[in-house]
Amino acid sequence: MDAILELDFDALIVGGGIAGLQAALDLADQDYQVAVVEKDTSIGGKMIRLSKVFPTLDCSSCITTPKMAAAAHHENITIFTYCDLKSLESEGLVLTASITQRPRYVNPDKCIGCRLCEYHCPVYVADKEEGGFSARKAAYIPFSNAIPQIALIDVENCMLCGKCAKVCPTQAVDYFQEPENFTIRAKTAVLATGFELTPVENKQQYGNGEIPNVITSLQMERLLAPHGPYNRVLRPSDGMEPDAVAFIQCAGSRDKSMGISYCSRVCCMYAIKQAMLLSGSLPLADITVYYMDIRAFGKGYEQFYQNAKAMGIEFVKGKVATIDAGANDSVTLRYEDQNGEGVTSANHDMVALSLGMIPGWNPEGTCPVSTAADRFIQTIRPKIAPTRTDMEGVFVAGAAAGPKDIVDTITEAGAAAMEAAKYMTAMETARKAVA
Amino acid sequence: MTDKKTDKETIPAKGKVGVYICYCGGNISDHVEVEKVRESMEKIPGVEVARTDMFMCSDPGQEMIMQDLKSGTVDRVVVASCAPSLHETTFRSAISRAGANPYIYEHANIREQVSWVHHGDQATDKAIRLVAAATAKAEGLKPLEPIRMEARQHVTVIGGGIAGLRTAKDLADCGVAVALIEKSPFLGGQIAQLERLAPTGDPAADIVTELAGEVLGDPGITVHTCSLVETFNGYVGNFTLGVKKRPPDTDCEKLSSLNPSGRTPGEFIPFKGFYPESVAARAEELSIETGVVVLATGFKSYTPRRGEYGYAEFPEVITLPELIRIMAENKTTDNCLEINGRQVRSMAMIHCVGSRQIPGIHPEDESGNFNEYCSRTCCSATLDTAGTIRQSYPGTRIFELYRDIRTYGRGQEELYEQAAKNKVVFLRFEADESPEVIRSNDHDDFPLRVKVKDVLTFGEEVEVPVDLVVLATGMEPNNVSELVDMMKLPVGPDRFLLEVHPKLRPVELPVGGILLAGTCQAPMDVGEACSAAAAAAVKAAVLLGRGYVELDPFVAEVDLEKCRGTGACVEACLNEGALNLVEMEVDGEMVQRAQVTSALCWGCGACVAVCSENAIDINGWTLKQYEAMVDIIVADEATA
Amino acid sequence: MSQTEKQKKEQKAAMKRLRQERKQKIKDIAATVKTQKEAVKAIKEQLQNHGGTVPQIARETGISADKVLWYIAALKKYGEISEAEKDGGYFRYILSEGSPEEIFNGQPDGSQDTK
Repeated sequence: MDAILELDFDALIVGGGIAGLQAALDLADQDYQVAVVEKDTSIGGKMIRLSKVFPTLDCSSCITTPKMAAAAHHENITIFTYCDLKSLESEGLVLTASITQRPRYVNPDKCIGCRLCEYHCPVYVADKEEGGFSARKAAYIPFSNAIPQIALIDVENCMLCGKCAKVCPTQAVDYFQEPENFTIRAKTAVLATGFELTPVENKQQYGNGEIPNVITSLQMERLLAPHGPYNRVLRPSDGMEPDAVAFIQCAGSRDKSMGISYCSRVCCMYAIKQAMLLSGSLPLADITVYYMDIRAFGKGYEQFYQNAKAMGIEFVKGKVATIDAGANDSVTLRYEDQNGEGVTSANHDMVALSLGMIPGWNPEGTCPVSTAADRFIQTIRPKIAPTRTDMEGVFVAGAAAGPKDIVDTITEAGAAAMEAAKYMTAMETARKAVA
Repeated sequence: MTDKKTDKETIPAKGKVGVYICYCGGNISDHVEVEKVRESMEKIPGVEVARTDMFMCSDPGQEMIMQDLKSGTVDRVVVASCAPSLHETTFRSAISRAGANPYIYEHANIREQVSWVHHGDQATDKAIRLVAAATAKAEGLKPLEPIRMEARQHVTVIGGGIAGLRTAKDLADCGVAVALIEKSPFLGGQIAQLERLAPTGDPAADIVTELAGEVLGDPGITVHTCSLVETFNGYVGNFTLGVKKRPPDTDCEKLSSLNPSGRTPGEFIPFKGFYPESVAARAEELSIETGVVVLATGFKSYTPRRGEYGYAEFPEVITLPELIRIMAENKTTDNCLEINGRQVRSMAMIHCVGSRQIPGIHPEDESGNFNEYCSRTCCSATLDTAGTIRQSYPGTRIFELYRDIRTYGRGQEELYEQAAKNKVVFLRFEADESPEVIRSNDHDDFPLRVKVKDVLTFGEEVEVPVDLVVLATGMEPNNVSELVDMMKLPVGPDRFLLEVHPKLRPVELPVGGILLAGTCQAPMDVGEACSAAAAAAVKAAVLLGRGYVELDPFVAEVDLEKCRGTGACVEACLNEGALNLVEMEVDGEMVQRAQVTSALCWGCGACVAVCSENAIDINGWTLKQYEAMVDIIVADEATA
Repeated sequence: MSQTEKQKKEQKAAMKRLRQERKQKIKDIAATVKTQKEAVKAIKEQLQNHGGTVPQIARETGISADKVLWYIAALKKYGEISEAEKDGGYFRYILSEGSPEEIFNGQPDGSQDTK
């Protein structure tokens, strides 16, 4: 068997979302050699999947793609997508990461991203990039601004008909591709492993994700994205343009019944943003936000919230107790009304659950870095050095260290890059002193 | 000093223009008929291709431009998309990667200037005119080289609070020399006004002492306390700051009064800060040559108006910072908290004082300002204080009057839960029904009453008798108007300093080489301020790391064939030293001619306007280009 | 036998082995594809004349409304159908002009470039 490929870098960034990319750019711009390891097929993380972002209402792509492209073209950055981190350990002053790159079944050096394979593939598969509301093929490019623009074959849904191989102009399809193992050695690492949404399946009172027209916040992002599944907001059960839409706040945050007692910090703002976008595309629709506390704490956020109120979006104080399927595909909510009317119910055409954040990665068994009670990565100096972990030379940025919005994530990624650069400078000074 | 352009001749004077129009994922295409703009551009002579994309800034979009350049289809590029402040550099670097000169690029803003402000045919019409003007200008673009200047490996940090200390130490750790300028005699800023930091409970003194100690112990950092920046000159990489150091006994406090309990310099003095060893003994003026300036000028605590919730009218009404200080300085072991000699059996804490103000509901201050923003830290600080009081003084009942509890951060929600567990009573009010603080009548056992319509009990009117009212005051930016004028800094409607873009360039200002750290930008807690400070430090390190900075070459250039040496341009020049008359030999005769010092030139064009010979022009923005733009904007064909 | 022919033959044999290995899965997917093809055909037939809304198509084809919408989203993405005017609370969908290949020759997101 071949010897395992070993690659040396100055810094290893785990996660190619906005936190990882920003940290990578800030290190690479200082002439450090950086490796970015991403589990997904494309870099860009959650942010590239969003419609627009608060409080500026810039399209998310406009902010993310330039950073993605800058990282992808940076001479000091090497990006590894579709990779699993098998272990990350420190041996002396060196961090060693064992990585497995999953097979795309397409030779990345040959693929030119023409999508002919996708057009000719006969299998439709629910497209999770579009919240499952649309389909992709079994041979596909993940999404239109993915980086890299390289096709892959979803073997779970491939019937080996050979059509993609036949139409590929560069003979890039390789049904026999195997996973590749390699090792990255680096002086320092930044963990930017991000978040996932709280699983709605665990919330029985909210229907475990099985009620028609009850969707998650990331699904709502896709409906609002201009290049989304329907190119407009429609009710997924039957394509009706909804007249009444509700947002349920703290669905999976500040909720001990789900084991998540913390605030997820972004849901208030993204729900307000979604409500505003919705009211822009459906001016006649009734939009209601059910909330406990509106947490609009960042720069310009409170003003954004007040604007939403002025636009006529209704904010109702009260935690929604249950969600059930109503008549004609509508959704029925029960909540305690604050006007003293007791438990009240309301009907909406569509309901978006403003789900919270859980960690995107559990280091247990992979990396000896500690996590806190909230299961996010523990930081040991949250006040004066918020990106330090208990593993020497390993820093953390973004939602990996607790729920965080994009603004705070990008700033924190810069801080993590600073810590990593300082660590390497100190190592170099120590090395020189010894020599 | 200046890299002379080398490949000026390799590209024809009149360009083959490629126009690339962005949908901006609907941001533009929702209001501008992008395909119609494309069709119009195709009709313009000199336009070789016109293409559209959903996201021109995405990799496939950039690739499309690069392909056209590589294949020789085009040699001038116009991108019509968002504001150039967002993506000008993105497209310039794509052009560079394609092997072309990055200055053969022109940007048309059809988002902020069109689709965000106009709708319907009007929007499309304006977009067509703007893009057409850009193509007309692009035809006359010449390849240029940036002006490369050596950068001083030195950073000046203004402000010695936690953010300033963090930035200074980070940069020094990376081998950059730092000057730290602080106007007071102390380091530590507003944190020194605190006892412990929520939610971690770190003693503020420890945090300040640790970081200030590291800064003072670092030979790479020079600390100037009691100092103010009075003059500012230069450009990124080469700034000169004039700093005035005053001894602390002039206006501020006398040195001896700082030291009541025999403390020596180099110690933390509660509610003052870290007192560094080197405090100026006499007035002194110094000049600091520096490459990058980091502003860490911090915040001040909001001072309630007289009569705001009874403040300054009733002695029993104090602010949260005042309470924290009184509690720290008068620790007792009684069952009840004692404030100013009075037992506090019951107290109310009112949230959002000086924050989340709404025009029409809250009164403006004397300058007509509202603090519409949330100050981010007061909820946690209030809950933390309430929790401490309930644990140390179980005889003191606490009512918290709030609008929304914003315990957003890690460990903060626990403070909220803890306060509830400790039987803090929460009353919630609507913004337009603020609580009222009134004097009790004579028979009452309590001096004050707080009246509130409590939303949690369905709007029931509640009256709470109290011994003390504490106002959770928010943050306001420190007054840095002198720096703002001197450095031409943008300030947001909230009066905090305004970054270029909260996500793309969160710690940068449009003035090259000036960065932001901490609460001068927006309210932040200590950890967030340190993150922002480190992010500013990393940007400074990147800027200086190359050893040189590159300035845009949009500067004046003199056509020596036409110049007659009248000196009118020198008179008109707005930046001293940018234009000079020099002696030179022309046709064997010594004559005076204008000469530009590129690094000092602002590219403002004042000289161009006054030259009777048309002998001076701004590179990249020539008179000919302006004429071409105007011609096409007013032409009917543009929109046909 | 020439080198390339030999390679081709080996390749074929390897594909055969792979298909054998995944026999059951391929069978399942093939069944899914068959259902999908039938559904797509039925939906397109409905759209043939003057288009239709999701509930109309669902009624006519017997396919559930959410599934119809799913197919419509997919077919729209691949350029086979497009959205027409609104009809009550619903949009009507029609078959696209031109073959998918032609549409595909534009930008990947469906926008067109010229010259």
